[in-house]
Formats: sequence, C-alpha cells, structure tokens
Amino acid sequence: MKEKTIYEHLREKGLSRRDFMKLCGTIAGMMGLEFVPPVKALGKTLGQSPEEVVAQALKTKPKVPIIWLEFQDCAGCSEAISRSSSPLLSNLVLNDIAIEYHETLMAAAGFQAEKAKEECMKQFFGKYVLVVEGSPTLADDGIYCTVAGKSNLDLLKEAAAGAAAVIATGNCACFGGIPAAHPNPTRAVGVAELIKDKPVVNIPGCPAIPEVTTGTILHFLIMGQLPETDQLKRPLPFYGNTVHDHCLRRPFYEAGKFAGSFDDEGARKGYCLYKLGCKGPTTYNACAGLKWERGLSYPVQSGHPCLGCSEPHFWDGGGFYQGQSAPIIRLDKGSTANLVGVGVAAGAALAGLNAVKKSRAKKDLRKDQSQAPGSEPGSKKEG
Amino acid sequence: MNWTNILNFSRGPLLHVAMIIFVAGLSYRLVRVLLLGWARDRAKNKGSKLWGVIVNYLKGLFVLPFIPWVRRTFRHNELTFIAGGLFHLSLFLVLVFGTAHILVWKSLWGFGWKGLPTPILAFFSAVGIISMIVLLINRLTHPVLKMLTKFPVWINWLVVFLPMITGFIMARHLWFRYEVIFSLHLISVSLLLIWIPFGRISHFLFYFFSKTIHGAQAGKRAVTP
Repeated sequence: MKEKTIYEHLREKGLSRRDFMKLCGTIAGMMGLEFVPPVKALGKTLGQSPEEVVAQALKTKPKVPIIWLEFQDCAGCSEAISRSSSPLLSNLVLNDIAIEYHETLMAAAGFQAEKAKEECMKQFFGKYVLVVEGSPTLADDGIYCTVAGKSNLDLLKEAAAGAAAVIATGNCACFGGIPAAHPNPTRAVGVAELIKDKPVVNIPGCPAIPEVTTGTILHFLIMGQLPETDQLKRPLPFYGNTVHDHCLRRPFYEAGKFAGSFDDEGARKGYCLYKLGCKGPTTYNACAGLKWERGLSYPVQSGHPCLGCSEPHFWDGGGFYQGQSAPIIRLDKGSTANLVGVGVAAGAALAGLNAVKKSRAKKDLRKDQSQAPGSEPGSKKEG
Repeated sequence: MNWTNILNFSRGPLLHVAMIIFVAGLSYRLVRVLLLGWARDRAKNKGSKLWGVIVNYLKGLFVLPFIPWVRRTFRHNELTFIAGGLFHLSLFLVLVFGTAHILVWKSLWGFGWKGLPTPILAFFSAVGIISMIVLLINRLTHPVLKMLTKFPVWINWLVVFLPMITGFIMARHLWFRYEVIFSLHLISVSLLLIWIPFGRISHFLFYFFSKTIHGAQAGKRAVTP
C-alpha cells in the first residue's frame, strides 16, 4: 500500500483547502523562507511562492517519523513544544508528522515503549529524524543517565545510526547546558560532539523556542535537508540576528538611557536593560522576532534582561545580573592584597640586593683609590 | 574554536591573568621607584606642604590645560599639546563615564555611578582616536621626534590605540559581529594591562606621585608651584 501523504492525512481530518494553504503560508513564514529561486520549465520561468513550495512538499511527501530522546534535561523543551503558540504547527508536528517515541508525551510505558522505538528504528531505518533533548554524559561511560538499563551514550549511538538527521533541541543537547555548568560532574557535552557522521543541527535555548524546533523539523520535511547553519550549527533563519539587533528597547541603548535597577524610574519607562546584565548583544536567537506565547512577549519586553540561553556556557558566563562588560573572574580583595604583597616583596628584594651590591662596589672603589698612588679623591663618582 | 568560546576566554582567564600581572607588576614598579632613594631635604619649613600639593593639582589638572598659551611648552609645539590634551581628556571621559566601563568598575569596587549619554561618549571616543592618529603622524614626520622615538614608543602607541579603536567599533556596532569585536577589545585591553607595568604608560600612576612630591616641595619653600 502506498504511504499516505501529509496532505491526505490532513484532508482526512477535515482540513479545508483554504486552511491548508493558510497552514502552508504559516510554515513558510516560520521556516524563514523569504525567497525561492524561480523554476525554469517548458521554456518559461515559473515563479514559485514559498507557500507553493510548502504545499507541494506536503502534498507529495509521506510523514517523517520522529524519535525524541531525552537525556539530562528538565523536559522543558518538550513542555514548550506541547504549549506551542501555533496550535496548527504543533498539531502538525505532534500528530501528523508523527513523533513515534517520546518518553514524556507517549501513552505507552516501560517495555511497550521501548519495543515501539525499536520497531520504528527498524522500519524507518535511514529515514527518521532523531531529536535529542538534554545533554549526553561522558563520565564513566554514561552511567549517570540511563533509560531501560541502557546508558545514554549507547542509546544515542543506537538511535543516531539509522537517523537521516539529528536535531539537538535546547541548550543542554546543543552545548551541554546546565548539566555542563562548572564543575560539570557528569562531563555533559553537546550532541554534535558525539555524532560526527550525521547531519546535526542545534536549536539552543532554555527552552528552545517551540516554533524554531517545529520550523526546523518542517524545513527538513519540506526541503529534504537541514537548514543552513552558522558556526555553532544553529539554523540561520532563526539564529542569524542577535536579540539586541531586533530589541524593542534598542533606541534607549543607542541614546544611552539605561535602567539602573528593576524598580527605578528607568525600568518603569522601559529603558535598556544592559546595565542589569542583559546578554542580548552576544545572544543569537529569534526571541525578539518570533517572541513567545503567540507573539505576546519575550523576556526583554517583560522587563528581564536576556540571559543568553542560546549561547554555549551561558551558565558560567558571569552573573546573570552582572553587566556583560564585567570580567567573569573577579579579583577579590584578598587576592589583590596578595598580589600587591608579591609585587612589593619582589621590588623590595631586588632593591635590597641592589643596595648590597652598591655598597660593596663603593667599598671596593674606596679600597682601590686608597691603594692607587696619586689618585684624587675629588674624581670619585657618586654612585 | 568559535568566537563565543574566544569571548569567554578573553572575558575570563585572559583578563584575569592580565589583571594579576597589572596589579603585581605595578606594585613592583612602585616599590622599585620608591626605594631608589630619597635625598634629604634640609630646607626650612616656610609654608604648608599640603597647600602646595593642592595648588599643584589644581593648576596642573584644572587651570593650565585650559589656558595653555601661558606656557612655553605650548607655544613651542601647539599640535602635540592640543592633540595630547584632547587624547587624555577623552580617554578619561570614556573610561570613567562609559556605561560599559562603569559596569567594570562596579564589578571591581561594588559601586557605580551615572554615565554620560552615548552620543557624547561617541564624540569623545572619536576625538581620542583622531588625536592618537594625529600624534602618530606627527611622530612619524617630525625630524627631531623621529630621532628620539625608539621601539617601545611604538608599542606604547599601539597598545593604547587598539583598545580605543576596537571599543569604538564595538560601541557603534560597526562591521563586525559583536562577540568578535568584543573579544578583540578584551584581548587588546589585556595586552595593555600586561604592558603597562613594563612601559611608560605607567605614568598614569606615577604622574600623581611626582605631582604630589613636587607640590609638597614647593609648598614647603612657600613658592607657588
């Protein structure tokens, strides 16, 4: 039997053609598809709009099964996606694209669940998308995070072997996140450091913006490949700009108007939160554009500085409420006093040595002069 | 290695090491200078030492720089005086009243103060950079200065200029990604901090010692410094 396409699935559920085209437009926007190169056919150049590309893909492509693994995580990214602001999108991903295995969301449990995963991995070998939430741990062969008696390293390798692509969602899966914070007892790392032979894309954030995760999954579904990424493997449509670039408080930054505390006049007037520790200038994420809760707001809009949760080591990058320009490791009073002591001691020691040398030289000079006949005492140089 | 890691390194360990070298090195230099020896001052007390110090500072910092034509040093070389003065003034303003710099002071000392508006700071940092370039050209073309200039002077110029230019580009968000130029700024600042104890830029500290001692000597002899 031929596999049903996504469009057929949606039609069966009673989605009208108009709603379908709306959905396609939303997806195209979500994916950041601004422009699709015109297609040459029959001697003519056919312009193709982004939503047509999406519609074409949904009409012709079968469902993509997703296996969603969780390691050292808080399930926050899953929570975010299940409360995604666009019900159509999350429905599409949760119900129609088919997440075959998800420990938190699936009804099955125990051996039943594991069996479902194994069957899925066998049936769709080389086709499924592996989504990883939470950081894998390297310490002691990964025994600090086990599911069904298997270490997370084995689980990851096993699932990645048959995956068409790997999507790491959340800062933990991308860069180690909070489990990797100093002193990192479990040696948590990002997925991309372990999986080298498959295409990996990072969707960092704490949690990852659900629209970005679904957008990336849909991008893979529609274009057949992962989106273009930056140096840290983050998809450019979503991580191309900093939070600072699109910040609605940016004019205040430019004018040098800053809130000095959370309850001063500046904070009430909506001034820039740079002095309260905002990490917006170095944080690449779509917060300021997509926002959260159906575009309702995002942290900086609500009056809280950006924590930089989509950047590596955000937990150890200085205090959240400490200005970004401040040094991460501070010289405290004790160590400053010690350093001054060291400098003073070294200086004094050297000066003492010099003094001894000088007095010896003087003595020698005096001796020489008293021995040498006809020397004039007046020619003696003051040292 | 990506720029986020480089930024974390330059904000963390690199700056830390630079500060360690800066503090220990400056204390060392200070002790070395102080222990070079003091000539015994056998002059009788004729006036107040403190008054001499106060007058010396007031004249040197707040009066003479603004009426420079009364001085021979100015009349002989106006360009160096004006460019040098503007450079010092703008460096002071940006370092002390730049918002990002205030946050550094706050993290070190636990208290901050109000900064100047960004456009004013941008103006002064541009003035500082232009004066640095003018001074460099002057040094490159002036026949006598050229002969006097040795290698460390070029290093002095460079290690001061790099933080200024990278800081300006960063604060104006020009050309580079923010984390790249932020890292470059911090690397150049670290270089400056490491170099200061070993070079003549240490005059930022020693200046106050000589100013105080000269003021005290003049005050003691009751001659206005």
